[in-house]
This record gives sequence, C-alpha cells and structure tokens, in this order.
Amino acid sequence: MFDGLKDKLNDFRKDVEETTDEQDPDATDDAPDDASGTDSDAADPGAASAEPATESADRGTGGAPGDPDDDSPAETDAAADDGSEPSTLQRAKAFATGRIIIEEEDLEDPLWNLEMALLESDVEMSVAEAILDTVRETMLGETRKQVETTGELVEEALHDALLDVIAVGQFDFEERIANADKPVTIVFTGVNGVGKTTSIAKLSEWLADHGYSSVLANGDTYRAGANEQIREHADRLDRKIISHEQGGDPAAVIYDGLEYAKANDVDVVLGDTAGRLHTSDDLMAQLEKIDRVVDPDLTLFVDEAVAGQDAVTRAEQFNEAAAIDGAILTKADADSSGGAAISIAYVTGKPILFLGTGQGYDDIERFDPERLVDQLLGADES
Amino acid sequence: MVLDDLGSSLRGTLDTLQGKSRLSEDDVEAIVKEIQRSLLSADVDVSLVMELSDAIESRALEEEPPGGTTARDHVLKIVYEELVDLVGDSTELPLESQTILLAGLQGSGKTTSAAKMAWWFSKKGLRPAVIQTDTFRPGAYDQAKQMCERAEVEFYGDPDAEDPVQIARDGLEETADADVHIVDTAGRHALEDDLIAEIEAIETAVDPDRSLLVLDAAIGQGAKEQASQFEQSIGIEGVVITKLDGTAKGGGALTAVNETDSSIAFLGTGETVQDIERFEPSGFISRLLGMGDLKQLSERVERAMAETGDDDEDWDPEDLLEGSFTLKDMQKQMETMNKMGPLDQVMDMIPGMGGGMMDQLPDDAMDVTQNRMRDFEVAMDSMTDEELENPRVIGQSRVERIVRGSGIEEETVRELLEQHKMMDQTISQFQGMGDGDMQRMMKKLEQGGGGGGLGGMMGGGKGPFG
Repeated sequence: MFDGLKDKLNDFRKDVEETTDEQDPDATDDAPDDASGTDSDAADPGAASAEPATESADRGTGGAPGDPDDDSPAETDAAADDGSEPSTLQRAKAFATGRIIIEEEDLEDPLWNLEMALLESDVEMSVAEAILDTVRETMLGETRKQVETTGELVEEALHDALLDVIAVGQFDFEERIANADKPVTIVFTGVNGVGKTTSIAKLSEWLADHGYSSVLANGDTYRAGANEQIREHADRLDRKIISHEQGGDPAAVIYDGLEYAKANDVDVVLGDTAGRLHTSDDLMAQLEKIDRVVDPDLTLFVDEAVAGQDAVTRAEQFNEAAAIDGAILTKADADSSGGAAISIAYVTGKPILFLGTGQGYDDIERFDPERLVDQLLGADES
Repeated sequence: MVLDDLGSSLRGTLDTLQGKSRLSEDDVEAIVKEIQRSLLSADVDVSLVMELSDAIESRALEEEPPGGTTARDHVLKIVYEELVDLVGDSTELPLESQTILLAGLQGSGKTTSAAKMAWWFSKKGLRPAVIQTDTFRPGAYDQAKQMCERAEVEFYGDPDAEDPVQIARDGLEETADADVHIVDTAGRHALEDDLIAEIEAIETAVDPDRSLLVLDAAIGQGAKEQASQFEQSIGIEGVVITKLDGTAKGGGALTAVNETDSSIAFLGTGETVQDIERFEPSGFISRLLGMGDLKQLSERVERAMAETGDDDEDWDPEDLLEGSFTLKDMQKQMETMNKMGPLDQVMDMIPGMGGGMMDQLPDDAMDVTQNRMRDFEVAMDSMTDEELENPRVIGQSRVERIVRGSGIEEETVRELLEQHKMMDQTISQFQGMGDGDMQRMMKKLEQGGGGGGLGGMMGGGKGPFG
C-alpha cells in the first residue's frame, strides 16, 4: 500500500524542481543581455533574473547569501524598478538576500499533476484540494534560500500538508486499552463486505499478543451466515462467542457480551455489527440505538483500502450515527494507493489505527502517520 | 446511481451554452473540465477520464454542428456518443443453459449476487443452481445456502471439502438437471498469486460460458489493476456492480468494463434477493444527460393510456384542449400517471422535467406529491358524477359530506378543488392553440403560467401538490 502514491509524490517533487530550476541556466544566459532586469521569460521573470545577478554579486565580494552586499544596490534597484510583476519590492528584497520567489505559474502544472496523482491514489476530491491548497499556500510567495534546493522546499510543504490531513487525533491504542476500566467495549461499524468480522478476529489475536483477553459478541443478527462466520473464527482462536438467533436485537447481544466479560474478568468485548449502507435510514437508526444502549468505550469504523471517492461520504455518515474514535483500513494488501486512509482521517478527524494486510490472523498492523509520511517522501527507501 | 453527479454538474455547464450557436475554445475547455471533475469524483480511472475528455474536446472543436443544431445539443450529442461507446451494451445473457463463473475481491458481494442472479434466471423460467466453492471464508457455505433458500433456488456446497476445484466439479455433476449453473468463488485480489492460480484452475474445471467480475460500486482507482488481472487469468465477459443503493457512483465499474473490453451485466441495488436489475445502457445515459428516456416514456404512456382507455371509451386526452376541464379529466390524468409507474421515475424520463429539475426538488417531494395524489383520488371517489362533471356545485355542505365519506381532511378536499380550478384556468389559456403549440404550452407551464398542470404539481413546497 501507498507505493503508488509515493512514486507520484516523487514525480511532483521533480516536476517543481524542473520547472523552477530549468530557468536558472536560461537566466544565466539572458541576464547579461537583459541588463534592465525585465525578463522575457514569462514563466519566472523575477526569480530568473534576480538569481544569477545575486550569484555574481556574491561571488565578487564573497558575501554570504543572506547578507546584502554594498556593491549590488545599483543592480537591485534596476531589477526593482523595471520588474513590473506585482511583487517588485519582495523580489528586490529576495534578490538582496539571495533568495528567489516561487511564482504561481511555476506551480500550476506541477500542482495539476499532483492533483491527478492524488485522485489516482483514491484521495477524495475535496481532500485532495485541501492538500493542494496547503501546498500552494506554503510555497507561493515563499522564498527559498540559495542554499536550499527546490526539492527540499517541496518536500517540506508536502510533508506538512500530508501530515496535516493524516495525523489527526492520534492516540496510543494500546495505552488507551491499558488505562481504561475493564471490560472495555469496542463496537465495529461499516458498510457491507469491508471486513468487520475478520478485523474483529484479527484484533482479538492482537489483543491476546499484548496480554488482553477478549470475548466476541455477534451484533450482526441480519446477514445470512454471519453467526457461522464469527463462530468459526471464535472456535479457531479459542474465544468465547456471544450470539443470539438471527433477527435478534444487536444491542442486546453486545450487552450480553459485556455482562459475560464482567462476570468472567475478560478485558475487552469486541462487538460486531451488521454491515449497512449509510443510505439505509432504518439501519442507521438501529446503529444509533446500539451506540446509545451499549455506549461503547471505543467505536471503530472499518473500511477497505480499495474504496474510492465514496469513502468520505460513508465515513462522515457513520461518524454522524455513532461517533467513531478511530478507523481500521482493510484489504491494504490489495491496494497500492491508500488514498482512502487519507480521506477518512481527514473528514472524520479521527486517526487510522490499524491496517488489515492479508487473510491471516496476524495480518494486522498499527498505522503510524509520521512513519507513513516519511516513507512516502523518503526517496531512498522503497 | 452510477454517475448521477455527472448528470447534474454537466447540465449546469451545458446550460451556460444555452442560446449559443458556436462554441469557443473556452466553452469547450470549461465543459471538458467539468466532465473530468465529475468522472473523477465518480471513481473513473484517471487515464480513462483523460482519454474520454480529450476525445470530447477534439470532436467538439473540430466537428461542425449540423445545420440548425445549437452548440448545447451538439456537445450533448458528442458526450452521449462517447459515453455510449465506453459503456457499450449490457452483457448478452441468452436465456438458455449456461455456466457462469463469478470472481471478485473479498466482500464485493459475489455470494449475494450469485443468489440474486439465480433468482433472476428462475423468474425467466429457467432452472438455476448455485455452486459454492468458497472453502476459505468462515460462514461462506452457510451464507450461500441461506441466500439460496430465500431465492428458492437449488444449491450445492460441501462445508467439509477443502478443494474448490473438486467442489466445482462435483457441484456441476450433482446439479446436472439445472439449466443455469452459477459458480461462486472465494474472494481474492489481483496480488494474491496462489489464489489467482486457484481460480484459473476452477475456470479450467468448470469451463464457464461466461465469467463475470463482481465489483463493489465504491471501488476506487484499484479497479483497473484488479480487472486487468482477472481478465488475464480467466477472461471477463461482464461486470456486476453491487451496493449501488449506497452513494458510490460506480465509476470503477466503467474502468473495469474498459479494461476488460466487456460490458455491464447486472446491477445490485439492495440486500434482498430481488434487488437485482439488468443494465440498460442507452436509457441510463440519456437520463444521465438529462435528455429524458423518451423511448421508455412513450412506451409507458402508451401502455397507461391503453389501460385507462379500456375502462372508459368516452375519455380522450385530446378533449382537454377543447371544452371544459372537469374533475373527471383530472382524475383520469392522475390515473394515467399512476399507471406509468412511480412518479419520480416517470418525471425522470421527461426531457426538461427529469434531471435538472429533479435535482432542485427536496428529496421527499416525490413522496409527498404521490401521497397527495392518492388522497385526492380517494376524495374524488366520494364525489358524485355531477360533482365530478361540474365541480362548481360543490359547496360547504357537499365538502362536509365528501370529508365524511372519504375520511380525507377538509383542507385536502379544498386544496383539490383549488388545484382543479387552477388547472382549469391554465388549460383554458391553451385552448385554441394549434397542435404544434405543445412546446409553447410546456414553456408557459415552466414559467409558472397559472401554476397549474405538471408545472404546478412540481412546484415543491408552495405548489398545490407539493
């Protein structure tokens, strides 16, 4: 997962570097002829003409880039007077301090490519736009020092923008379990077929690995084969399963699970619910009722990594019906983009806690946004 | 529903072209951008979107609009043709003996779709059987068995067996009497090499007439890779889109159709076995573009007219434009509309009514309208012939009698009379118009001329039916 996005982010970085840097050599040639400082190169007039001039000035005096030199004011003024672009003064200042300014038109193409890259990675459109806005704002009018490469600047902007949307409301899941009064009730919600039941089995195993006992409660009293499925998992993992007849009250099943846990000193109750589409009003009302009656310590929203633009809509609506504390993203092994993670975290403001990465009980991983963003932007590892 | 948003946003952009006869490059660019946005937010593959929009852009700029065509119609036609070209016809499914293999990702809805398809074939008079080969997912056997019981179709599976290929072989033998064999398989994704090898083995053993890829409507850009892998291993002849009753647009399915060079076979629209539809491409796209599904509408109108006409030979809709408009006429009008089917579906088919206009109505406007129409009908059933022919005779005491007789609130009865009065006035304005004036009449209605007729009914909160 995320490999696809990683490649595309690297492309974006190169794009920006190319569009801003490719003008530097041109500018070196142009600058002497174009002594007035008005650059014919429409793409990047100020930056292109200002930069080589500064370079030569610096070289001549050996002054540090950040240190305005006494020899250069004439040139500075020339550039300032003749540069008719809006940010004349800023550019003059940048010129004097040995920085260049990134212009909007430098970013236009790379940003369009970045938007496509994000969409191609299943990041939802409004979320992608939010990321673009952050990157644009950070970089526009931003000056870069001579010593910095454009690449570093882009990386920083992307890093912040991505972290901004993914790293929301982080908390340590294990610590939360450790500190909570036992038994801890966790209810799993989500649409049909995303892998709620499988995730419950995996999480039960994860809890056992970390020293916590758990009981499964099958709140899916609707779907054909639901009881059999979770019972089979419970048998294989040797866990207690609480279930009622098909058609029973889901809230009652989970409540029974809680009673069982209290009586038998079990740490965690994992409550399954039937998959439901967020458009089904009565089933969403039922979910609200479960939330009200059971009042779980944690509600985890389960969705699949392969989900596209719709991930945002359903995350929002599930969050509305039964406020979620975090999300589990399943089938991460089937998907190389992982944009759904970004979208869900962004709209719910709740962290992605786990990734489901295969069909075995151990195929569950903690999700660490910082590490992810570093990985996404780290050009060396793959 | 698939690409619903494309419809509304596209209509918005196209409306800016209203009245123009030539397209500027800027116009085309704006439209193409809108098309791209809509398709992308519907999960259609990015490169496919670019191909599609490039084709639309170059055609819109290069092709001369045929004489007399507005720029808007010209673009609409190009978009329509390109989309039809992409979606193609629905997958051909002859009603004869055949074997169908289902494949797809975990949780995409294969088992549910298998039972639904079996139900669909059984309603077509064939004898279907579902063979469950998923030995991996706990509960898969029980789920398939229970779904097949609900669909009342034959089922084969073996909860103790371990080899899906063997189950498939045994299943085909055991259910040899059935006409249609639907082989369900375990969920798998393109990157699981061993499972891909397994489904290839099942495919060889079963030798299906067609393999269908089952895709969740919510699937994103991954659809492309998944589809191409399944196409490579077992050859995909059609796509089943599931969970379309959610808000997902199903654009991933279009990608899959493009990638596998196949077509859409079925749509899954709910949790019960009856919630399955065959895909109807042209009507679907017409409705999408707000052009109205005229073919279906005219069929429905004809059928409804025929049914209404059978009961009462005296009544002729043409009479509306002559003589006076009585409550009886109104009763007939409503009856006819009812016979055409649910109001929202019918409205969606009327050019200019569906699409753009529907988007502006509150969600429950149709339900409200439908309920009111029902109340009106009940009230009219409690009226005498004289009252229906000449509503002017209905005074306070008659209203009270109608209220007692029908159990409908007095307010509603009064609204009915009011509505009739407005429609009568509107109709009388059109009397004397020639045959060719229908369009002017529609226009007048749209502008709220008199507030009667369909325009009035659709007026949302304030309108008499709203």
